[in-house]
Amino acid sequence: MSSAYDPLQPAKRPGGRPTVAPRYRVLLHKKFRNHYAQLAERVGIQQARQMWDHLATTPGATSGIASTTILRGRAGRPRGPGWSRTVHYEVSGDARVDYQYHDAYRSNPSGDAHPVVAILTISFGSH
Amino acid sequence: MSDVIFKVSDLAQSRTELLQAAREGRARVRDTDGTGLVMLREEELQLIELVADWSRAHSCLLRLQQLGRQPSVSELGDQLAWLRVFDLEDLREFANELDDALVAARADRDGAALRHCLHAWRVTARQLQDPLRRSVLHGAHAPEDFEDAQRPGATSPVRDVASGRADE
Repeated sequence: MSSAYDPLQPAKRPGGRPTVAPRYRVLLHKKFRNHYAQLAERVGIQQARQMWDHLATTPGATSGIASTTILRGRAGRPRGPGWSRTVHYEVSGDARVDYQYHDAYRSNPSGDAHPVVAILTISFGSH
Repeated sequence: MSDVIFKVSDLAQSRTELLQAAREGRARVRDTDGTGLVMLREEELQLIELVADWSRAHSCLLRLQQLGRQPSVSELGDQLAWLRVFDLEDLREFANELDDALVAARADRDGAALRHCLHAWRVTARQLQDPLRRSVLHGAHAPEDFEDAQRPGATSPVRDVASGRADE
């Protein structure tokens, strides 16, 4: 007899493998390397992964679980041809990420074009 | 809007009609001393106050733009002091977007677009308050400034974007 609930089967780890294969390569501005290292600790591994999964799969869509805003003025302008405007993603009340995405980015002129998301800034603390 | 002017006594005797008129737009009541009073939906009053408030701010911004220089915090005043992080170009863009949002609010009798505009600019102002964030958000793109960001919890080494070299 099979049962939907097996008390001896451990529960899956929260925020395990992404359910959809990443499409975008996620890049991080080096000046925010330390912030990124603290992200999971500040917001929890599940929310940090949900943010990464959103960026890696649908960076141009609104998130069902986080508030997003397009930044205004110079801060919101594309960093060059092909780049999106700057999206401000609220990972939680305590952490926010600003990013742009590019559907056919080349890191050098002879490189292959591929979709990337560039995390520009990470900030902590409540508004 | 109804042309009916209710009397004070109608507050008790014609309460249903008076409230219906208020729900449909305005209920005008003449007080015993002749003062005209108006009852309307609270959300409409909030919209009127919001539009009036930001129309004044918009006029102030247009005056400040004529200075041809960055306005001081005291010139911006309490309501607009949060805009001090923006340069003249951004202030001009804000004034234009605010003008569009005010027109939309009046035309649609809905302040959602105006509130959204103000929220987005306030969020941007907060991000620019920090010098490090400001330098990156206003800086030019350079591939060497970026490295791969692994999914949180992953253990792969950090890889530099421009060189493809792994950091140890």
